[in-house]
Amino acid sequence: MKNNKDVKVALIGNPNTGKTSLFNQLTGLKQKVGNYPGITVEKKLGICKLNDSVKAEVTDLPGTYSINPTSLDETLVLDTLLNEKNNSFPDVVVVVVEIENIKRNLLLFTQIKDLKIPTILVINMIDQMKRKGIDINVNELEEKLNTKIVLASARKNVGIEELKEVILDYKKLDTTSIGKITDKIDKEYFTKLKNAFPEFTLYKSWLLITQNNEFEFLNDNQKKLVLKFREDLGCIKRYQHKETIFRYQIINNVLKSSFKIDKSKASDLRGILDRILTHKIFGYVIFALILLFIFQGIFDWATYPMDIIDGAFASLSSWTKSILPPGTFTNLLAEGIVPGIGGVVIFIPQIAILFTFISILEETGYMSRVVFLMDKIMRKFGMSGKSVIPLISGTACSIPAIMASRNISSWKERLITILVIPFTTCSARLPVYAILIALIIPDKRVLGILNLQGLTMMALYLLGFTAAIFSAILLNAVLKIESKSLFVIEMPNYKIPSLKNIFYEVVEKTKAFVFGAGKIILAISIVLWFLASNGPSTFKNSEQIVTSKIENANLSEDILQKKVASFKLEHSYIGYMGKSIEPMIKPMGYDWKIGIALISSFAAREVFVGALATIYNVDNDAENSGTIKERMAAEVNPNTGKSRFDFPTGISLLLFYAFAMQCIGTLAIVKRETNSWKWPILQLVGMGILAYVSAVLAFNIFS
Amino acid sequence: MQDILTYIVLGLAIGFLVKKYIFKTKNNDKCDTDCGC
Repeated sequence: MKNNKDVKVALIGNPNTGKTSLFNQLTGLKQKVGNYPGITVEKKLGICKLNDSVKAEVTDLPGTYSINPTSLDETLVLDTLLNEKNNSFPDVVVVVVEIENIKRNLLLFTQIKDLKIPTILVINMIDQMKRKGIDINVNELEEKLNTKIVLASARKNVGIEELKEVILDYKKLDTTSIGKITDKIDKEYFTKLKNAFPEFTLYKSWLLITQNNEFEFLNDNQKKLVLKFREDLGCIKRYQHKETIFRYQIINNVLKSSFKIDKSKASDLRGILDRILTHKIFGYVIFALILLFIFQGIFDWATYPMDIIDGAFASLSSWTKSILPPGTFTNLLAEGIVPGIGGVVIFIPQIAILFTFISILEETGYMSRVVFLMDKIMRKFGMSGKSVIPLISGTACSIPAIMASRNISSWKERLITILVIPFTTCSARLPVYAILIALIIPDKRVLGILNLQGLTMMALYLLGFTAAIFSAILLNAVLKIESKSLFVIEMPNYKIPSLKNIFYEVVEKTKAFVFGAGKIILAISIVLWFLASNGPSTFKNSEQIVTSKIENANLSEDILQKKVASFKLEHSYIGYMGKSIEPMIKPMGYDWKIGIALISSFAAREVFVGALATIYNVDNDAENSGTIKERMAAEVNPNTGKSRFDFPTGISLLLFYAFAMQCIGTLAIVKRETNSWKWPILQLVGMGILAYVSAVLAFNIFS
Repeated sequence: MQDILTYIVLGLAIGFLVKKYIFKTKNNDKCDTDCGC
């Protein structure tokens, strides 16, 4: 509950100004990621203790260049600042600008200042001042901008305490605008506007009439007046241009004497690095080497903690069975819940390593160079450079990646991006790939340093990207939608990655997997265990049926118990379900047990490993049933006498999971983003056919 | 007793899955953005 003393703070700034680093420094781990009501744009809220009795509720608003929105993200910033009745309306706005791009960043500041909301200016990345030959006269700048300025380096925790003190004293901030822009544009017009909306500030009234939004907080009369002003659109557009020109004139005047750059003192390391990293040959080679290093790291470093976790859960399962009294709940714990949780926890090391690398690439500024590098290529496939970020984000999860495609202005490019994103290897595929690769690819070194399993993993990631690219080419040729777009990207400065930011990012992503996917995996494991441990009359009489068979008469007690367990699973509810789809999946090399895992993972592919772990645990009646990998490796194909997960079946499964659209969440978000069922159905059917055909071909070629 | 506990846990698991995939709750400002995949 909000205390009366709490201060509502909105963090606003252009993209790449270090706003999120500042948010992390202010709020630490006291953060909550949510959505804005009714839409799926991320909302980051955090609590910051200003002193012993006052706290600040900090909202990290999406990055925007101005409050004239061109995308859904930017519209949010405008809505937050205009609607005073809104729960998110700030008491004070903190505008974050970057020292090197201060001129462009100040445009947003001058707009917010005109809304007469108390505003603090944070000049971030001051640690780069000396290297860039920059000198600022803070007092003069404060005086000219009518505000308090805090010089900060969010990454190095510089200026944070000072900022907290300024936020505490926000009521003392000067709210007068900088220069009478409206008078310079057309005094008469703006007087008329002021008189039409006497209850609002002049700049707020101007924003109300210039934006194409429906403002729900206006009453009917105000809405009518807004529409009336909007009738003269030509005049509005002309005045908007004038506004921007006048704002930059003011900014130039303000910065003329208070902000100086001595180019002779600046080093041009950035230019050299840019030339190398975006080079038409070296750029791609470097990117490929970085990817190779990442996947080597995932396999080489994650193996040790994964083996420890796997072993620990196997022991825990046996221990649970030995310590608790025999019964159904004990079985549920030992065979359903413990392996189910184990199937989630085991993949934490790999996911954490992957996101550590991705965060480092983002933090250093390298990712923007990759986007630039890829733009030329992407255009040939009907996408834009902006499609690269959603495609790379797709390695985490397709859902936020599809949402991230909203900043692509061309509908055709956006639609193609949305449709091909699910081919990129998301974190849910990682557990499936990891276990299958460990089973079918030997843990060997290639050229002395490269791990063969790591290379296979990289090949699967590249396969996902390749499938996305080929689908994009096909869609580009088939879709008859006319549209054009421009590609503009800002290259942030190279930075030493902040450990704190990387830590928060990795924790957030790992938490999302464990608590998001983990809950589903656990729930499905429980249901699967029940369906595998119960069945119709044949199941109930399993022991009697098996022991009464003549060929089993001379078997040892141990082997007989295994036969009973196997018979039980085959005649359980899940056994019948698996058997019912066996004819369809046999051409892919799968038996009914793998069929069960396929059915269970239809809604979410990561369930595959957990499902198999549960099935093989129920199937194996021995006290110590081993790790997930051991249980899968021990499974024998009765027709061939070889391992069930041999090379042909393993490759077939890898290809099936690389291409199949097994994620209900993604289908739902595609429907919402495209506003039609046509596209998610096309994805489901198209990807399903590709997955099935590839799996059948792979199994038959390698058999 | 063990049977009762088993059915409670099973009921909770089914309830969770039904809520997640069939009666999906509308977004509000308290929703997180994890996608469950």
